[in-house]
Amino acid sequence: MNMAIYLDHNATTPLDPRVLDAMLPWLQGVHGNPSSIHRPGREARAALDRARMQVAALVNAQPAQVIFTSGGTEADNLALKGVCSGKPRGRILVSAIEHAAVLGPVEDLIRQGWQVQRLPVDHECRLDFNALQKMLGDDVRLVSLMLANNETGVIQDVKAVADCAKRHGALLHTDAIQAAGKLPVDFVALGANLMSLSAHKLGGPRGVGALIVDRRVDLAPQITGGGQEHGLRGGTENLAGIIGFGKAAELARLELDVRNRHLRALRNNLEAGLQSMSGISIFAEQVERLPNTVQLGVAGFDGEMVVMELDKRGIAASSGSACHSGSGQPSHVLLAMGVDEAYARSAVRISFGMSNSMDDVQTLLAALMTIASKRSGALALA
Amino acid sequence: MNGSMDPDTEYSATVWKHFHTPSNAGEFLAGTAGVLNGEAGARQHGRAVAFQLQVTADGQVADCRYRVYGCPVTIALCSLTSEALKGQPLTAAAAYSVVSLAEQLGLPAEKHAAAITVEDAIRSAAGRYNSHVQPLAAATEFTYRA
Amino acid sequence: MNQKTIYLDYAATTPVDPRVAEKMSGCLTCEGMFANPASAHGPGRAARGAVEQARNQVAALVGAEPGEIIFTSGATESDNLAIKGVAHFYKHKGRHLVTSRIEHKAVLDTCKQLERDGFEVTWLKPDADGLIQPPMVEQVLRPDTVLVSIMHVNNEIGTINDIAAIGRITRKHGVFFHVDAAQSAGKLPIDLKTLFVDLMSFSGHKLYGPKGIGALYVRRQPRVQLDPLIHGGGHEHGLRSGTLATHQIVGMGEAFSLARQELTKEAPHLRALREKLWQALHTAVPQAMLNGHPTERVCGILNVAFPGIEGESLLFACGALAVSSGSACTSADRQPSFVLRALGRDDQLAGSSIRFSVGRFTTSAEVEAAARIVSEEYRRLLDLAPVG
Repeated sequence: MNMAIYLDHNATTPLDPRVLDAMLPWLQGVHGNPSSIHRPGREARAALDRARMQVAALVNAQPAQVIFTSGGTEADNLALKGVCSGKPRGRILVSAIEHAAVLGPVEDLIRQGWQVQRLPVDHECRLDFNALQKMLGDDVRLVSLMLANNETGVIQDVKAVADCAKRHGALLHTDAIQAAGKLPVDFVALGANLMSLSAHKLGGPRGVGALIVDRRVDLAPQITGGGQEHGLRGGTENLAGIIGFGKAAELARLELDVRNRHLRALRNNLEAGLQSMSGISIFAEQVERLPNTVQLGVAGFDGEMVVMELDKRGIAASSGSACHSGSGQPSHVLLAMGVDEAYARSAVRISFGMSNSMDDVQTLLAALMTIASKRSGALALA
Repeated sequence: MNGSMDPDTEYSATVWKHFHTPSNAGEFLAGTAGVLNGEAGARQHGRAVAFQLQVTADGQVADCRYRVYGCPVTIALCSLTSEALKGQPLTAAAAYSVVSLAEQLGLPAEKHAAAITVEDAIRSAAGRYNSHVQPLAAATEFTYRA
Repeated sequence: MNQKTIYLDYAATTPVDPRVAEKMSGCLTCEGMFANPASAHGPGRAARGAVEQARNQVAALVGAEPGEIIFTSGATESDNLAIKGVAHFYKHKGRHLVTSRIEHKAVLDTCKQLERDGFEVTWLKPDADGLIQPPMVEQVLRPDTVLVSIMHVNNEIGTINDIAAIGRITRKHGVFFHVDAAQSAGKLPIDLKTLFVDLMSFSGHKLYGPKGIGALYVRRQPRVQLDPLIHGGGHEHGLRSGTLATHQIVGMGEAFSLARQELTKEAPHLRALREKLWQALHTAVPQAMLNGHPTERVCGILNVAFPGIEGESLLFACGALAVSSGSACTSADRQPSFVLRALGRDDQLAGSSIRFSVGRFTTSAEVEAAARIVSEEYRRLLDLAPVG
């Protein structure tokens, strides 16, 4: 193992060995195309259907509401463009803290003539409800608000937002990619119309995700041809990947409490240890966050540099969303929270997984201590 | 041969059995007495059935034969129906509901058209009863010439 | 009592080559490889390296530069991205597209969607052998034509279009040329350095790689631009966002690398098996008719029309064989194949056609058994049918 401690589970999680076991048989031997009517095809179709039920069960949805995609990004794209593209243009409300996978399609919709307004958050990364209510109107077609933020870990009250949106005739999309597998996620109880999921954030393989969609929503497919997924997403299904997703979803559902407790204990341990370190604070410390996520600000430091120093010590962490690594931009999430740019640049995100232990927390604390003690050295921000 | 088409998830084992080994397929030898010929469907529409009823003098169906061009369900329905009609009065045969049989077999609604074609072929045969067919003498009456 | 299936449906999907599976497993289990290739840390860098190696492998099979290969979730997505991407990016230049009636559904449905969005599409009818002849393309090009999309090999009948000649025509007229090569990559030599092809779609699972991964070649010299289909983190040079599935990409790379090594030996071997199948069938069933051009066909595909019997029955009678009638994506639909209808076959003949496709693991014994089973069942059904 060339990386001693992996603390970047929000970027991606290691494949659970039980998921690998479920997938491997589908990468060996002869398996049919699930659309074929012969036996190998039917067997593949049956396995696909089982996986669909497993994913649906994780989020209390119906199997028919599960549309498999090539990942969370594609699910977000399908949600936003599927609802809006080619429809009479109106307004879309999107929170200021959404992942690039939501903001990307939003940019595309703006190019198509849609009006998009950012829903602000407060300094604790929580949606400003008053602002939402002011912005809603008859011409708002869609509201998109992630259930849990990938950087700060802050959890939103999606149900309240969904209720509000519905009263104004707007649809609600929630990116539940970080939340699923860490918290109980209930598609029905949340009242969302569309919800994005990604397998590799919960111990499943990369390259597969799902959009959970209320079938009454008029969704325009983005990848057409072949009629798969009720005509909503064409293309031969990623059989092994989807089966892996199903298994990962099932394990996540069964082990949710155990995982929650383990992760929360690690997080609490880290946060306790950080209390005694001056110059390090936790973003949105006081509000409800994912049990595994701690985003810290290291005053006077460049977060990227801290990550590199941790890397040298065999610790993998992140300075914000993986997609932006090395881009030199401070986190848009932190900026939306009103954090000043310099401090935002100092952000380091720690996201625990089931493979981590209390020892890992101690090692991390020691490393941070060492790094922070070089305050006046080369690592400091100018 | 059940093979790899995995029928279990689509049609019942009965349907597959009658598809793979249909009963009473073929036709009566030319000149056989009491045979009524009926037909329905057309190849260009995907389904053609030629049904033969062998009828006794007192109007009982003694035996059946058929030839069929069509999907597995059509073939199976011909086979099952041919067994069901034997021993029935012709009037009952003419009223026999192949559609009900299809429903009992759990066949989907899209396949009821196959059942209707089989019914049409039987009724077409039955409808010829009072024309120039020479009915088969009742099984218990054999005329021996000394 | 179920016999073991004789799998002759390689054109629908192929088993993952054990060597590919091994490479993929290595990725799925190796500690350093699971990481997000976009991440800055050690594991992220290792994953990125593996991805770039796979990109080189894909590029090498088809004579492209690695920078011209974008990974996608499959050939369907590649087709969508290529066609919609070019149509939307260049719509100020024109809104006319040209394609054929017998493209894969991924191309057909995408073009239909564009028609609904205000683009005009010319749908070329193939000749009686199933080929799109280059003059057919030239005839319909207009000043406002932006893209021509013609598949290299037809998935149902295996016919090979002359993409070199078509490319010369499109280049002459300044029109972009997209080719769906899902059925041809690794089976026919492709050299994008000499072909005037601007975009080419590839599939992983048609070439002994996993399902759910594909690629799109996007020419750089001269440059082709596209509106992306999936927006987000800006991956693949902004053309295709979304966290890359390392193991999938590595699998596709390995599959393409193996194909490059084995192409010259494998193609003649498959052709021989296919010819053996055809000879055996034709001898036992003289009425059987070949669908598609007799020689301009890819090595593995054989599509045969069996007159006088109903197609679904023949398919199910030959239950021990995994074969196809119509393309896999629409098999459950039970409509007569639109490809065969476009060749001029009537509904019944189209419906009673079977596509056999042999592949890397097909044995001679399997081919013999298949021919025997088909001819026996054909005769049984023919005997069952009404005369005349």
